[in-house]
Amino acid sequence: MNRRLAIKQVLIFAGGLALLPSCLRNEGKVSIQLQHLDISAAQEKLLAEIAELIIPKTNTSGAKDLGLHLFVLKMLDDCYDKAEQEQFINGLKAFEGLEGAELKQLLTEANANKAGLAKEISQFFSIMKSRTIGGYLNSKYVMSNLVIWELVPGRYNGYFPVKTA
Amino acid sequence: MSNKQHTYDAIVIGSGISGGWAAKEFTEKGLKTLVLERGRDVKHLIDYPTTNKYPYEFEHRGELTLAIRKENPVVSKCYAFREDAMHFFVKDKEHPYVQEKPFDWIRGYQVGGKSLLWARQTQRWSDLDFEGPLRDDFAVDWPIRYKDLAAWYTYVEQFAGISGNKDGLPQLPDGDFLPAFPLNAVEDYFKKTVSEKYEGRHVISARCAHLSQPRQVHFDQGRGKCQNRNLCQRGCPFGGYFSSNASTLPWAAKTGNLTLKPFSVVESIIYDEKLGKASGVRVVDANTKEVTEYFAKVIFVNAAAINTNLILLNSTSSRFPDGLGNDSGVLGKYVAFHNYSARISAEYEGLKEFTTDGRNPSDGGYIPRFRNLLKQETDFKRGYAAGFSAYRAPERDMSGIGTDLKEQLLHKNLGPWQVGSHMMGETIPKESNYVKLDKDKKDEWGIPLLRISIDYDENDAKMKKDYLEQLTGMFTEAGFKNIKANDAGQAPGLDIHEMGGARMGHDPKTSVLNKWNQLHDCKNVFVTDGACMTSTSTQNPSLTYMALTARAVDYAVRSMKKGEL
Repeated sequence: MNRRLAIKQVLIFAGGLALLPSCLRNEGKVSIQLQHLDISAAQEKLLAEIAELIIPKTNTSGAKDLGLHLFVLKMLDDCYDKAEQEQFINGLKAFEGLEGAELKQLLTEANANKAGLAKEISQFFSIMKSRTIGGYLNSKYVMSNLVIWELVPGRYNGYFPVKTA
Repeated sequence: MSNKQHTYDAIVIGSGISGGWAAKEFTEKGLKTLVLERGRDVKHLIDYPTTNKYPYEFEHRGELTLAIRKENPVVSKCYAFREDAMHFFVKDKEHPYVQEKPFDWIRGYQVGGKSLLWARQTQRWSDLDFEGPLRDDFAVDWPIRYKDLAAWYTYVEQFAGISGNKDGLPQLPDGDFLPAFPLNAVEDYFKKTVSEKYEGRHVISARCAHLSQPRQVHFDQGRGKCQNRNLCQRGCPFGGYFSSNASTLPWAAKTGNLTLKPFSVVESIIYDEKLGKASGVRVVDANTKEVTEYFAKVIFVNAAAINTNLILLNSTSSRFPDGLGNDSGVLGKYVAFHNYSARISAEYEGLKEFTTDGRNPSDGGYIPRFRNLLKQETDFKRGYAAGFSAYRAPERDMSGIGTDLKEQLLHKNLGPWQVGSHMMGETIPKESNYVKLDKDKKDEWGIPLLRISIDYDENDAKMKKDYLEQLTGMFTEAGFKNIKANDAGQAPGLDIHEMGGARMGHDPKTSVLNKWNQLHDCKNVFVTDGACMTSTSTQNPSLTYMALTARAVDYAVRSMKKGEL
């Protein structure tokens, strides 16, 4: 994380963009470099909230701790075409202005693919959820602490005993 | 520079699996050897930039970006062309070719070639393969039999390091093996079921070029035990699998007789009309485009099957207006490949008391060919081998969100065993499957583009149908559930087992090479890569290229000593 981002995040947590000193330009912009997407700081913050609702902090780190929403944005920017990116942004707009219980309500409905929900919302949510999960399972934190991934296993056992439930 | 400075005893074109072997054999026998590689250098250990990276160290966690996929519609189809190894693959735009029919030509232009990227499966051929064309009336008769190659198989196995069991099967001769990687609980169970219920069908541990238990000769190469990383396509820091980079090329360099020149695109082989043989090669510098000629008494063409055809076709002279050694007119024709276009998957509810731990670099099980083995018994010619493997993964219900979802992602409760198989079918070489030079279009180095016209035929379709039926039957017998047959329908080429075009044969009128891999009509030029193959068998071909190469170098050097070349 660069210094500017760190300061910005502290400020955001401290109560909003109004406190940003004038030396920080682009205060309305997303905190990572994106090639195709135009994402505002507010949208970034919303995405962080949504990611956290998908994978919350418990006694282990959650989406915000791991910056998973930034991973989602990176993948969206580099691995999807323009139409998919637009659908994602349009879907995201449906969540703008929501917070707390309302935000959770719409998210739960999107996850249940509730009838009558706008197509953009489910398209947004499907990318958001799968990429948040992917970012989580492939994070350094999870791979080092929770579901260990070994670079050098040095072994193979084809009859490894497991308890059957 | 004078010609003298450009003169060697032997020139080897290409540094992949077969070129690396040619380099090792020539330099060990004391010949000053020039190895020409069109791509950049890749030094063992030094030039494996991703080899020790964790998944989260890749920007896109291994995935290809849309821009890369769009720019590379062909190579993007290859399973190993991912963020961790894409630097070892040719990008579509860099080296165009003309597809008269869809053909996914997967290439690796660098020192070591595709030996860095191969799937490392190594099975010997038997006489059931070498006698195939004669028995089943296709292509031409192979000018060699198993006995010609058996000792050479042993020779290359010992140096490369091949793990496997002695299975005692007529279609898959045993070799000098390191210990096999064992089958897991369900692979073993399937093996037992198949051998009980099907006469003549077997499931064995896949034989592969991994050092399960290195011998002194492997330590002498600077290689060590395979560490079960299964990240082979990045280049192995342990030298755990066989590649030119880890094995034959450093060995050749140690003799002091090797000159390796990367960025050297061979434009053609120079034919000396007075001497009645080849005198050298014409090379275009990949970067500066400067043309240089190099000379040698003997030339080995190991540019990988299709590029070897290209070089020979482009080596024209008044003696050989249609390509070097092409009096027969068959050069570039009778190209074949392996049919990998079907797979099948299923689940098994049993043996839940076991799972696997660590990783198996061999890919699991191998089902040697059982169709039409000893006699013709179906309505298609030849047959197929198949892979077979089983694994378990955590069963995660990802339908929720929040703490429920998180719990599912972190728990380790395993689902049922997943099993899968893929087909490796022999295809029949035909005159209508060919490569040839484009009359107008040239690449950046002034070399004609290649036109590729290769397709499946009715025999392939019938064989594929049979594979899906038979494997479905075998899976059903084993009690596997949720069986899904998948006719992937991929274009030829993606198997990366293209073979032929400069086939071996008895008769110079119908073949390009003799039984020593020597051009019938230009005796000091040899071809020992995939281009030489008369038929394709079902076995993965690389081990046979290694054995043919070592044997051909031995013959070439003996001939040179007798003054015959």
